[in-house]
Amino acid sequence: MKRGLIVDDATVMRMRLRDILQTKFEVVGEAENGQRALELYDQLKPDFVTMDITMAEMNGMDALKNLVARHPDAKVVMVSAMGQKAMVFEALSQGARDFIIKPFDPDRVVMAINRLFE
Amino acid sequence: MKVEYANPFVQAAVETFQKEVGVRLSRKDLKVKNSPVPSQAVSIIIGVTGAVRGQVVLSLDENVAMAVTKAMLPGKLPAELKKLINSAVSELANIITGQASILLAGDHGKIDITPPAIVMGGGLSMDFLNLQTICLTFLSEVGSLELNIALTEGQT
Repeated sequence: MKRGLIVDDATVMRMRLRDILQTKFEVVGEAENGQRALELYDQLKPDFVTMDITMAEMNGMDALKNLVARHPDAKVVMVSAMGQKAMVFEALSQGARDFIIKPFDPDRVVMAINRLFE
Repeated sequence: MKVEYANPFVQAAVETFQKEVGVRLSRKDLKVKNSPVPSQAVSIIIGVTGAVRGQVVLSLDENVAMAVTKAMLPGKLPAELKKLINSAVSELANIITGQASILLAGDHGKIDITPPAIVMGGGLSMDFLNLQTICLTFLSEVGSLELNIALTEGQT
């Protein structure tokens, strides 16, 4: 079973993503900001990451850049309300594999993670 | 403050409520005031920078806040839901502002928003921007809410 790390500053969103992902994957950790995500990624070595953008301490775009610089094979799916064209383009060009705009359908999340491993 | 900034927020609020809370919002009122000071019990403040800049303050009564939390976390017990109200309404404000910024940014602009700050209860004094504000009020079957939009043109 593929192992995932959830990164989002909102407890509610981390709980919802955990409920959705646990139907098909193992959730091995949760981080509330980008800095903590980098620490947990090194510790837990997950197969995939869901990454919010608007977070204190280190936002998701900076965390994505750091993560991909350190682990070029990291599989990161952005999950954010900030779905402006410029943001989506920036995230994908920095190495994100997909971009899910909140509010989302649970099926869209599962489909995006499944696609990472096809 | 351009009045056209209001429409993306109306659309974002109505669509987000329908999707996240399963509740239909109807717009009650629009007024102009001198700052985004909120009037209801629970308020969430989000800063906006980039192509437009300023502050957005979502304000709702406690019943609406609880209904939002319950809808976002079905199956959770009331005691647990109470502890998660801040997180749920903050995320709701984040999604509404994020959705509105997609519409405001269009094809070329970029708008960034700050993590939400939440204020609960009365008697608190906070500094808000002195900026002409559009105050939109909405009604729903679970109660009323207010969206204060204090935005001005920023850098593209």
